[in-house]
Amino acid sequence: MDLQQRNNVRVYGSGPTTLVFSHGFGCDQTMWNYLFPHFTGRFRVVLYDLVGAGQSDLSAYDSEKYSSLAGYAHDLGEVIDEYAVGPVVLVGHSVSAMIGALADRQAPGKIAAHVMIGPSPCYIDSGDYTGGFTLEDIHSLLDTLDSNYLGWSSTVAPVIMGAPGQPALGEELTNSFCRTEPDIAKRFARVTFLSDNRQDIAGLMTPTLILQSTDDLIAPVCVGEYLHAALPASTYCLVDNVGHCPHMSAPGACSAAMDSFLLPWVGADASR
Amino acid sequence: MPVDNLPLPDPQRLFDGAPCALVVTREDGTIVQANQCFSDWTGFSLDELKERRFQDLLTMGGRIFHQTHLGPLMKMQGSIAEVKLDLLHRDRRTVTVLLNGVRYEHAGIAYNELALFGTTDRDKYERELLNARKLAEALLQEKTATEVALQQAQAELSSAYEIAQRRALFAEQMVAIVSHDLKNPLTAIKMASEFLARGERSPKERQLLGHIGLSTERAQRMIADLLDFTQARVGQGIGINPVALDLHTVTRDSLDELRVAFPKAILEHHATGSARTFLDADRIQQIIGNLVANSVAYGDLQQPITVTSHQDAQESRLSVHNHGPAIPEALMAGLFEPMTRGTEQDSEVRSVGLGLFIVREIAKAHDGGVSVSSSPDQGTSFSVHFPLRHP
Repeated sequence: MDLQQRNNVRVYGSGPTTLVFSHGFGCDQTMWNYLFPHFTGRFRVVLYDLVGAGQSDLSAYDSEKYSSLAGYAHDLGEVIDEYAVGPVVLVGHSVSAMIGALADRQAPGKIAAHVMIGPSPCYIDSGDYTGGFTLEDIHSLLDTLDSNYLGWSSTVAPVIMGAPGQPALGEELTNSFCRTEPDIAKRFARVTFLSDNRQDIAGLMTPTLILQSTDDLIAPVCVGEYLHAALPASTYCLVDNVGHCPHMSAPGACSAAMDSFLLPWVGADASR
Repeated sequence: MPVDNLPLPDPQRLFDGAPCALVVTREDGTIVQANQCFSDWTGFSLDELKERRFQDLLTMGGRIFHQTHLGPLMKMQGSIAEVKLDLLHRDRRTVTVLLNGVRYEHAGIAYNELALFGTTDRDKYERELLNARKLAEALLQEKTATEVALQQAQAELSSAYEIAQRRALFAEQMVAIVSHDLKNPLTAIKMASEFLARGERSPKERQLLGHIGLSTERAQRMIADLLDFTQARVGQGIGINPVALDLHTVTRDSLDELRVAFPKAILEHHATGSARTFLDADRIQQIIGNLVANSVAYGDLQQPITVTSHQDAQESRLSVHNHGPAIPEALMAGLFEPMTRGTEQDSEVRSVGLGLFIVREIAKAHDGGVSVSSSPDQGTSFSVHFPLRHP
C-alpha cells in the first residue's frame, strides 16, 4: 500500500520535530492552510487526508476497518512511521484529536505531544456527561447529508460560483475541499459522532494542549473542561472564537498558543 | 424611450422586495442585514434577526453541517452554491431552502452574502427520489444476496450429485464383483447336490436335495441377472451373439422349459407370420423367461398366460400377456428401471427387481425396444420388438 497515494501525504519545511496535522470531519487537509505555514520554518510538517476524504484513495476505503476510529488511528501510526523525523507532535482537529489519542494508546511513545483543536471524547449526552448532542441531532445531520448528496451528483462537493477576490482558485483545488463519496461521508459521520472515547483518553499522560473555542457548537466549553480534567498532563487554552474551526477563523490565536506549548520541541537554534 | 433611462426602484427597495431570502452576515454568522422574505420564513422581525446568527436559525443537522462543511468552504473557496438546508421558523416549522453564498471583504471586514430559495415542494419530490433509490439499493442488495445463496446451493447440489454418482458407481462395481465371485461356490453346491442325488436316498433326503437344486438354480438366475445388470450399467452394455433363427421355434422350446419351472401356470403360445431373422437365441429365451416369470409373479394363475411370437418382413415381436390386476399408474413410468417391483408382496418366484431392466437392455442391444399396456379389463401385456436384422 502506497501511503502517499492512500492518504495524500504532503511534507513541508524542516526541523528537529515533526508536526503531523490531521483534519476533522467535513473537509480535508486544505483546512490547515491558514495555520501550518507558520510552523514550516522550525518544524517538519506533515499533512494528510483521512481515507475517504479529500484526495485520499477512495478505493482504500474498507467499511469494516473504518467502522471505528481505531482504523483511522492505525493509518495515522503508519503515516508517522513513514514520514516523521524526530519527536512527533500531533495536531488534530475535532475527531482527529481522538484518532491521535487512540494512535497514542496503540503505540505508546510514538506521539510525544498532542495539540487538540476543538476536541470532544463523546458528542452525545449521557448521564452526568454533557457532549452537546442527542442521538436525534445526529440523525438530523445524517438527513442533511442525505439531502445535499442528492443535489451533488455522486461525488461532487457544492458547486463554486466563482470566488471574488480569489480568482487564482482553480477548479481542481476548489472541488476537492469537501469532496467525499456520499456513502463514506455518512459512515464517517456515524463513526465520528457516535464514538465514545472517554475511556481511551482517561489518564493519558502525554503532554496535551487543548485549544478550546469560546463558542463552539460541536465541542462546547464544558467538553473542553472535561478533557482538561481527564488528561493529567494537559494545558487548557481558551481561544476567543465562534465556530468549530479556530485554526481557520482565528489562526493567529492558535499559533500563539501552540508556539509557547511547542517550545520544548523547537531546535536549539530556534529557541535561542 | 431607451431602457437606460427608465426609472428603477432604489436598491434598498429591490433588496427588501426580492423574491428570495437575502441575508448578509459577519464571518461568524452574525446577521447584519436581511430582507423581508427571510423575516417571513423565520418568523423574526428584522430587528430580532440582527441579534442572531444565521446558523442558529437552522435545524441541528444543518447547524452541524454549517460548522463542518459550509463555513470552512465559504472561507476556503469564497463561495458556495446549491446547499440544501432547513430553516427553523420561530414556531418550530421548517422551511426547506437552497442556499447560495459569496464571501467578500468590505473595509477590511469579511462578510457572507447569502441568497436562499424556497424549495419545499421540490424537497418532497427529492425525498421521494431518495427513498426510491434507497429501496432500489436494498432490493439490489437482496437480489445479490439471493443470487449468491443460489449459486452456493447449486454448487452444493452439484457436489452432492457427484458424490452420489461416485457412490452408485462404487456400489454397482461391488455388485459386479460379488456376483461374479458367488458363481463358483454356487456351481460347487449344485454339482455336489447332483452328485449326492445319484446315490441311494431316502424320500426325505431326496426331497431336501430337490430343494437344494431348485434354490441353487434360482440363485444362479439372480446372479445372471445381476451380472447382466452390471454389464449394462458399468460395462459396455449387454453383449449379444445373433444367429439366424426362427423366433417361433425358440419361443416354443422356451415355453416347454418354463412349464417345468412353473407347473402351476397355464402357458399358451400363439405364433403369427413367418420369416427368419438374426437374434441371440439365449437372450431371446432370457427375455421370455423374465417376462413369463413376471406374469407368474403378478398375474392371475387361474387364467392362461399367453406368449405371442410374431415375425414378418419388417420386424419380429414377442409379447407376454396375463390377466392380473392392472399395474398402478404411478409405477408405469419407471417400470423398466432397475430395482422396480410391481408390489411389495413376497413370492417364491420374485427376483431382485432387474428382470424388466434386463429385457429392455437386451432389446436395445438388438436395436429394438419395449412397451407395456395394462388395464383392469384387458390385463397386462409386455411387448418387445426387434427390427428385422440381416447378418
